[in-house]
Amino acid sequence: MDPFSADGELINIQNAFFQGQYQEVIDFNTSSFSPENNLPARVLQLRSHIALGETEKVLADVEREDETPDLAAVKALAQHTAGHADSALQLVQDLAENYPENGTVQVLGGTVLQARGKSEEALALLAKHQGNLEAVALIVQIHLQQNRSDLALKEVQAAKRWAQDSLLVNLAESWVGMRVGGERYQSAFYVYEELASADSTSAPLSVIGQAVAEIHLGRLPEAEAAISTALQKYPNEAGLIANAIVLNVLAGKPTEDLEKRLQETQPSHVLQADIQEKSEFFDAAATKYSAKVSS
Amino acid sequence: MQSSPNMLTKFESKSSRAKGIAFHPKRPWILVSLHSSTIQLWDYRMGTLIDRFEEHDGPVRGIDFHPTQPLFVSGGDDYKIKVWSYQTRRCLFTLNGHLDYVRTVFFHHELPWILSASDDQTIRIWNWQNRSLICTMTGHNHYVMCAQFHPTEDLIASASLDQSVRIWDISGLRKKHSAPTTMSFEDQMARSNPSQADVFGNTDAVVKFVLEGHDRGVNWVAFHPSLPLIVSAGDDRLIKLWRMSDTKAWEVDTCRGHFQNASACLFHPHQDLILSVGEDKTIRAWDLNKRTSVQSFKRDVDRFWVIAAHPEINLFAAGHDTGVMVFKLERERPASAVYQNQLFYITKEKHVKSFDFAKNVESPPMLSLRKLGSAWVPPRTLSYNPAERAILVTSPTDGGVYELIHLPRDATGAIEPTDVKRGQASSAVFVARNRFAVFSQANQQVDIKDLSNSTTKSIKPPAGTTDIYFGGTGSLLFITPTSVILFDIQQKKQLAELAVSGVKYVVWSNDGLYAALLSKHNVTIVTKTLEQVSSLHETIRIKSAAWDDAGVLLYSTLNHVKYSLLNGDSGIIRTLDQTVYLVKVKGRSVYCLDRNAKPRTLEIDPTEYRFKLALVKRNYDEMLQIIKTSSLVGQSIISYLQKKGYPEIALQFVQDPQTRFELALECGNLDVAIEMARDLDRPKLWSRLGTEALAHGNHQIVEMAYQKQRNFDKLSFLYLATGDQEKLSRMAKIAEHRGDFTSRFQNALYRGDVQDRIQMFKEVDLYPLAYLTAKSHGLTEEAESILEAVGLTEDQISLPTIEEPLQVAQPIVPTYKASWPVKAAAHSSFEKALLGEVGAGDEEAAELGFEPEEEEDAVTAGEAMEDEDEDVAGWDMGDEVNVEEDVDFVNVDSAEAGAGSTEADLWARNSPLAADHVAAGSFDTAMQLLNRQVGAVHFAPLKPRFLEIFKASKTYLSATPGLPPLVNYVRRTVEETDSRKVLPAIPRDLETIASADLQEGYAAMRANKLEDGVKIFKGILHSVLVNAVSSEAEVEQAKKIIATAREYILAMSIELERRSLSTDSPEDLKRSLELSAYFTIPKLEVAHRQLALMAAMKLAFANKNYSSALSFANRMLANGGSAKLLDQAKKIKAQSERNPQDKIEIEFDQFAEFDICAASHTPIYSGSPSVSDPFTGAKYHEQYKGSVCRISEVTEIGAPASGLRLFVPSQI
Repeated sequence: MDPFSADGELINIQNAFFQGQYQEVIDFNTSSFSPENNLPARVLQLRSHIALGETEKVLADVEREDETPDLAAVKALAQHTAGHADSALQLVQDLAENYPENGTVQVLGGTVLQARGKSEEALALLAKHQGNLEAVALIVQIHLQQNRSDLALKEVQAAKRWAQDSLLVNLAESWVGMRVGGERYQSAFYVYEELASADSTSAPLSVIGQAVAEIHLGRLPEAEAAISTALQKYPNEAGLIANAIVLNVLAGKPTEDLEKRLQETQPSHVLQADIQEKSEFFDAAATKYSAKVSS
Repeated sequence: MQSSPNMLTKFESKSSRAKGIAFHPKRPWILVSLHSSTIQLWDYRMGTLIDRFEEHDGPVRGIDFHPTQPLFVSGGDDYKIKVWSYQTRRCLFTLNGHLDYVRTVFFHHELPWILSASDDQTIRIWNWQNRSLICTMTGHNHYVMCAQFHPTEDLIASASLDQSVRIWDISGLRKKHSAPTTMSFEDQMARSNPSQADVFGNTDAVVKFVLEGHDRGVNWVAFHPSLPLIVSAGDDRLIKLWRMSDTKAWEVDTCRGHFQNASACLFHPHQDLILSVGEDKTIRAWDLNKRTSVQSFKRDVDRFWVIAAHPEINLFAAGHDTGVMVFKLERERPASAVYQNQLFYITKEKHVKSFDFAKNVESPPMLSLRKLGSAWVPPRTLSYNPAERAILVTSPTDGGVYELIHLPRDATGAIEPTDVKRGQASSAVFVARNRFAVFSQANQQVDIKDLSNSTTKSIKPPAGTTDIYFGGTGSLLFITPTSVILFDIQQKKQLAELAVSGVKYVVWSNDGLYAALLSKHNVTIVTKTLEQVSSLHETIRIKSAAWDDAGVLLYSTLNHVKYSLLNGDSGIIRTLDQTVYLVKVKGRSVYCLDRNAKPRTLEIDPTEYRFKLALVKRNYDEMLQIIKTSSLVGQSIISYLQKKGYPEIALQFVQDPQTRFELALECGNLDVAIEMARDLDRPKLWSRLGTEALAHGNHQIVEMAYQKQRNFDKLSFLYLATGDQEKLSRMAKIAEHRGDFTSRFQNALYRGDVQDRIQMFKEVDLYPLAYLTAKSHGLTEEAESILEAVGLTEDQISLPTIEEPLQVAQPIVPTYKASWPVKAAAHSSFEKALLGEVGAGDEEAAELGFEPEEEEDAVTAGEAMEDEDEDVAGWDMGDEVNVEEDVDFVNVDSAEAGAGSTEADLWARNSPLAADHVAAGSFDTAMQLLNRQVGAVHFAPLKPRFLEIFKASKTYLSATPGLPPLVNYVRRTVEETDSRKVLPAIPRDLETIASADLQEGYAAMRANKLEDGVKIFKGILHSVLVNAVSSEAEVEQAKKIIATAREYILAMSIELERRSLSTDSPEDLKRSLELSAYFTIPKLEVAHRQLALMAAMKLAFANKNYSSALSFANRMLANGGSAKLLDQAKKIKAQSERNPQDKIEIEFDQFAEFDICAASHTPIYSGSPSVSDPFTGAKYHEQYKGSVCRISEVTEIGAPASGLRLFVPSQI
């Protein structure tokens, strides 16, 4: 059975994962699943643990499972996330060589490769997928990170032809939409709003998406409402804090507290790194100028 | 009972056979005449029997309300016609004359006439004003079953069991009875010989047409309200339609369908329909034009005898064997849906229209739904999908159908939709962006469909489900007769169930957190997880509801608009003269659709519910706002506040001292209580105040209360308890003065004053007691003198053994010095806010005085920027910049093959503005631009601004777990997708600067916080320097802001320098005086310049520089303003004028034009050489050329510059 069909056993757990409801995935009752779905479900749960930062647990869990390429791929991702970047890369490259047809290897391997900046290798691995929507989504993201929204758009439109209603395709389309802008901001907004507004599907991921769309649409008060409620609910979500900083700056409000919080929760966040870099850049650039007469 | 899909029963009564019915033209009343001789007056809206009239003997068949007067008429089998007043509830008089049953009675629409038809084969016209019979029409040769006036012309139609319908001309009668004008001889002749023309002696009413066609007796006849048509119903079970012209009348067609005698019929007042009832227990509606049956309604056992139509609204009533039913043929609720600021609705013509709440305009028709359902059945519901701009419409025809239609982008007219998806369903609603749910009641199945109308999922709803509603994204609400069930579509799981019966509509709040479940008489508010929040009951039918943005539910009943807070508190907002369906609430406006599907706006006063809401939410600011801006007084609010336990808030509203006193006591606010008690000054109040104050421990108030009550005993004891000896002795004096010995004794006891006690005993001749007291206290001399006075010796008295006398205990703490301990008065945060607000109010008023005015000094500031348009240097540089950047990109590209350039790079490429380069992260090119445009050289102060803009340029969208978030670029060109035109959003736009930062700066000036002020204004300069505006007009505004900031920084710096000087040495004093004079030169807001002038004037005056002081005073007086300042200026002016000399010569020529050098703070007289700053336009002495501007701290004085650019014309 097609695992992505609307009535598949995995649909709910998969959707929960894509919506960023990692705890729900972990708590998901998988006992009733048919045997062939046990492995994918386990992989999803392990990935949720990784997403929640519980890499040690995952590493312990898959310790002796190197024989199963799916779990080995999970191990690689866990290693990568835990900071053992080189061994992870090594493992992924091995897996990519030996099991290039395995969906989990493609997706997780692609993730690790992309995270290491090896976009071309990642794309090459992902290109081997056979109707794996996660692979599609990852390809879209890689294209976007390469600032090739044209390629990303093409990928999404191709996927829509065979999986029009998949949540993942909708999300990927929204990612592209946020890049392209104009009317697509609004459609991206609808996708995230729909997820964020229902309790059963709401998660930091969707709230961030909704708020980001509002920011791009220039609807700051609405974005602020969404973010501030979400911040109360998920106070330690770095993504939320980072966007809250952006929003507050746009609205002309102080951001020192938020920046401190971001520093505490995720010092490596792109925003921090960027600002640090630019701050140094500023100082360097400013030295080129000086007044003719010093006063 | 089988009901047609559309007929809606609104009211039913149980009684004996109903023979006659009449609607009141205005009120919701219906008169029913019964076979049992009773006439009932019902309120069909409330469902209550208002009155019964029982004077007829036997069945009453005819009944009619007078169209304007409080009268009605009835006719019965007792041959009598009775005219009644429903106000006095009495029969006014009886018209006798008929010789058999009276079948129908009707009032004329304007003349004082009553028309009656009787089994005595006559039709009679009566004048009810003079209570006389004015005409008898004979001609029918069997019972006359019905006779009616034509609604406008002088015609009568009658139906008889002789199988004919007759049309009578009564214009003669009208002529005869109208007010006499000039009467011709013939007329007079005619009047004097009334019995000439007719065999029966009748010229007033003549038969015009006899309509023959029925094969059996005719039971009823009725005129069309506007067309020359007549409809009749007969025992041949046929309904016949007749047409007439001036000269003839003929049968048009027959409606066949009744299978028993047809008893009555009429034309629909507004639509092309005929309605008829019959003994076959059916009500039938016929298409007037096609004469085909449109719908029918059948009762199980009751035969119908009569039908009546309401003259104005869409209501009918039919009388049958066991009572009356009031019904309407179709739903009048227009199908509609609201999305944000738009209302989509379907008109009576079945056109889809939209209404914009913000602009208050109705769109032209967008679509025609003529083909949806059947002609006489309006669509039931409309569901709107904003993402797809599609609507889902349902119609109850044929067991229910739905259509999915995409709305055209522009409303161009009632076009037929092209791409329509349709199917069978009793309800259909959108449940997600690309899904809708379709419910079939017959199959008890819900299908989830995608937009191509194919089913993706099927759900079996709970048994007995009657309707479905949107239940929040991805969820549905199933409505069963006894409960509402929340169902998650994706998980196919029932999430919650709530037992509420008879829910008909569900209205979601704007934020989707709450929903109102409306049933006929109940409103239940639930959360989105279906937990009941509150519920309320209405006796009158609830029609519709809409949510206020603040979370207040407004709902409409048949005649009111009401509100309900989440906690269940409710009240009436306004009355309605006609039923409306609320769709949206915005501020003071309630938008609704009326029964003609026209959008209407009702003005409401939301004060009451806003206030209550604020109270519930403890939003004191809002409450204050309401109290200050609205007249919110009234017993209802006060009692509400008291009931809710907020006496302290109620206190704020009440003026009446008695009520205020009560409230003050209730909330323990003694200050107010005492004030009120003083006003009222009644002993009872003082006593209550005393008790309350005592409970609080506030003995000062207790004292006052006792004093007011002249309660000396208690006062004395109070002084004793508080240890106030002084007052105690005063009390003793008072007691002595009053001659109240008991009181005096008590006081003496309290004070421990033995002498006084003895003295008192002696005065009242109680010598033994006096002696004993003296003796026991060891006052031997006194004792002896007492003995002496009474002429006794010590031996003659036997005394008990005397012990040590008791001393009065002294209070340890002299409490009287202060009230202590006092129970804390219940000052609510509200009151505090109120007190605080009073203070803030003054400030506000002060602020108003400093509203920014038009700045005349923008001209000077503008110099530096004047030539910006002609100057292409900015562009040249822009090109250079791009070249450099491209080099950068090549590097990036090589690192990551196949990657494109980021949007940030595009920004830098698309714009010549420094701000846009900053947002792009290209700080170096931004600096180049600023250097060329305004000679910026010292960038350190701009760093926060650069980073601020940069921070706001990107958002972070989490995507695949394990990878960094996707970075997206925030644009100010939201609509734009052309990568050559996109530009970044720049935070802190000009409007924010003008409305927030600038005001903050002024506030610092007012508050005399000059260091802060300088900082704020410099911040403003930096914000404007790196910014982007959206129009040429804003460029001008930016220039003004720069000039303003420059002047304030200059002024504040001068004053700050002066303050840092000591005035001990003569040089410093001279400089001080000069600086204070220069402080008055920069072009500040008038109110602020007054402050500078004041300071300068005072300083000059204090140092005997009367001439300068005089000139400052004169300038102040010329500026005008606050009276207090002007008074001072006047005083000083008067003083200085006596000796207008300066003691200390300063370098300040009050008559010369000069600028102040921003570096040295010395004058630059016009004509002398100077340089200016390219950005701020600040003036400097020449020697400062090349150094950094003191005002901006960024730019180089006298540097060559092309002018600041803030605006990209192409972005529009």
